[in-house]
Amino acid sequence: MATEEKKKAISRLKSMYPLRAEVDKSYQKSVEAMRAGKPVAWAMVNWWEGDVILKAMDLEVVYPENFGTVCASAGIAESYLDRADADGFPTHLCGYSRNTFGYTSRMMKEFGGEIPPEAPMGGMPKPVLLLASDIICDARYKWFQALGRYMGVPVWTLEMPIPGVKELFMEGVYERCINFMVKELREFVTFLERLLGRKMDWSILDETVNTTIELNRVWHEVNELRKAKPCPMHSRDFWSAMPASFFLLGDVKDTLELYRDIYNEVKYRVDNHIGAIAEEKYRLAFSELPPWHSLGFFDRLAERGWNFVIESWAYHPPIPIDLSGVSDPLERIARLTFQSQVGYFEGAMKEREYFGYMGYPYLVYAREYKYDGAFLHPLITCRSASTHLKYVQEMLMRKVKVPSIVIEGDIVDLRLFDPADALSKAEPFEETMEHYKKVRKEEGFDW
Amino acid sequence: MVAETKGLARAREIYQDRPRRAKELKAEGKKIVGYPCIYSPSEMMTALDLVPYRIFGDMKEPTAEADRGLPAAFCPIMRSCLHLGLKGSYDFLDGMVVAHSCDAQEKTVHVWECLISSPYFHFLDVPGTVHKASQDYFKEGLKDLKKTLESFAGKELSSEKLKRAIEAHNQQRSLVREMYELRKPDPPLISGTETLQVIKALMSIPVEEGNELLKQVITEVKERKDGPQKKPARLLIWSSTIDDISLIEIIETAEANLVVDDHCGGTRAYWTDVKLTEDPIDGLAYHYLVELRCPRTYMDAVYGETSKDYMADLESRFGYIKDYAKGWNVNGVILQSVRYCDCHGFEAPQIKDYLDSLGLPNTYLEHDYSEGALAALRTRVQAFVEMIG
Repeated sequence: MATEEKKKAISRLKSMYPLRAEVDKSYQKSVEAMRAGKPVAWAMVNWWEGDVILKAMDLEVVYPENFGTVCASAGIAESYLDRADADGFPTHLCGYSRNTFGYTSRMMKEFGGEIPPEAPMGGMPKPVLLLASDIICDARYKWFQALGRYMGVPVWTLEMPIPGVKELFMEGVYERCINFMVKELREFVTFLERLLGRKMDWSILDETVNTTIELNRVWHEVNELRKAKPCPMHSRDFWSAMPASFFLLGDVKDTLELYRDIYNEVKYRVDNHIGAIAEEKYRLAFSELPPWHSLGFFDRLAERGWNFVIESWAYHPPIPIDLSGVSDPLERIARLTFQSQVGYFEGAMKEREYFGYMGYPYLVYAREYKYDGAFLHPLITCRSASTHLKYVQEMLMRKVKVPSIVIEGDIVDLRLFDPADALSKAEPFEETMEHYKKVRKEEGFDW
Repeated sequence: MVAETKGLARAREIYQDRPRRAKELKAEGKKIVGYPCIYSPSEMMTALDLVPYRIFGDMKEPTAEADRGLPAAFCPIMRSCLHLGLKGSYDFLDGMVVAHSCDAQEKTVHVWECLISSPYFHFLDVPGTVHKASQDYFKEGLKDLKKTLESFAGKELSSEKLKRAIEAHNQQRSLVREMYELRKPDPPLISGTETLQVIKALMSIPVEEGNELLKQVITEVKERKDGPQKKPARLLIWSSTIDDISLIEIIETAEANLVVDDHCGGTRAYWTDVKLTEDPIDGLAYHYLVELRCPRTYMDAVYGETSKDYMADLESRFGYIKDYAKGWNVNGVILQSVRYCDCHGFEAPQIKDYLDSLGLPNTYLEHDYSEGALAALRTRVQAFVEMIG
């Protein structure tokens, strides 16, 4: 047993496993509910803007973006991608979307709307609603619109205003954005009531919103603890625990308690100077989505003393804001979601870094988490998750003399990430990080 | 400075050296404001005596400088624009008005704003949908733009001035449509190549100057005897931005005349007038959010519908293409997009479905916005033209 423990370079959080089990159980419960005929929505990740409402309306929600990952891991994605290609979708489009097109084409054309037998994790049943979102990426509403080729399912597109950094601070703009979102959400609720033939239970929505806000606050506090040296929680635990917040998987009350357990364990580690890896030589940030299919490469890097202390901005909970004085649950949702997108704009404005929501947070992270290097993982078929990385690389060097290593990969096409190649670059990058540690010291930085 | 050339020759001259006129105007004391996409309301700039100047890429030039801020697998047009900006090709601009039309543009301009200093820069958020709340939000965004433009120009923008600018731009739209009417005869009186040169010239000079140029072009084209030759194929092109005549020449050197188009270097900016509303910003908001036809906007056949009819959806989104095809007697459609354009990439199979339902032959072409792509495009265009001929 002791030998087995020694083999593990990353000390995973014990409290993460029950949360992960809740996430996995939620997939299974969802499949069972769908098989029992419960209406299903396919939703784009929406930073809680629509999820909370769907949950309160008791719709089962599946995420084709997430399902793309599942298909890739199960080795099914390639056949769906081929099918999307044959149906005329350009090969440069988002891998998740092409996976969905191929899957839906097969489901509708060959199985009359029933789940294809090879579909992993229970598959995605034919939905009653496609909930699109215009946050961050055009694909996330164009893709659902294009699914009209295969099935006559209504699409609702959630609006997300996103002014420029300077423009956000013009008089009245912030509140205008909130009002716009609230109006849209009210329309969305009315639409859902018509679609489902039942009324929203506002008390359930109220409670779900509050729990979601608290859940995100606790999860944020967990990540704040990771600023400690040595960092008590590795990125692998982040990626394992993240879906319960990001997708609101599982019962939100239960997951809130499980996040509190994680907080307690991480706090214990901080108080006792316990790191997530044996010897923390280098602290790193990881951006964007990790290569789900090759997560073992993190262990190899951990053996070299690489501790991943912070990850992609987009998957982190927002910086908490006090919403206790906001009585309308739709407005609380709007403010939570908006904060997730513009929460760093004030700093960005001061520092004249105008890529305020996808780029600038990495500069804040560098200073607060004091990382030595950034591992940037551009995703070939997910341009929106990769566009900012060159800029991040440039900004980190320009502002804080932190170097980056860029290793291309993908979220669906497994062939595009080569762990051996990534590992072969580790040693030279360590030399680079050592060099810039000296440079930062010479220039008066405190790490 | 009075132009020595006129009409088509003048348009060609401006096309070949776009910054020249802008720099002359700058030397005369005008402020030049760049905009990379037709979602930036030029009327507001014109009304404040600023010169709106469309930022285009250059497909003949590698985009090495863009590596500083953008990945390689990214919209090549935006990469080209950033490359030109970083190397100083747009240094004569006094400011920028950029709109959140597509994500590629939105993200590029944030990088641009960080890496290229400019005395004035305004980012205009544009909703993805055309709901009433979206229109209201967008209208308020236009009011913010008005404020920063006023501050930059150092003068107030009155409703009357804005209305006069809208009228001038509407006149330009009307003249462009008149120019496109000259492509209805067989053979067309003006080629696609010439049309692109004119449009690109219009997007490089003040509106009144452009209107004068259009009048000259229309008169010249009506009178000349050496226009395009009759050819068996009369094509429509639906496309992401086309800003280089090489892409049009490929078609017109085959046995085809390009008679009408749907892209933002062609009809898209000109096909409907801005309505002259009591508050002119109402008309602008409606025009730029609802009436511009770019795939970047999510359109529904019926807002809030709880069922979906695919063919009704296609008809509501692409019915205008049918009107183009009928009006210009089109017998084939080229669907073209640069690689990594999500908006056009997702749209292409659906517009293909629509064209198939109309029985209109069509083909989808993709390229990387480089000269190297032209040979392969030429082969595919020739094959398509032979097929429909």
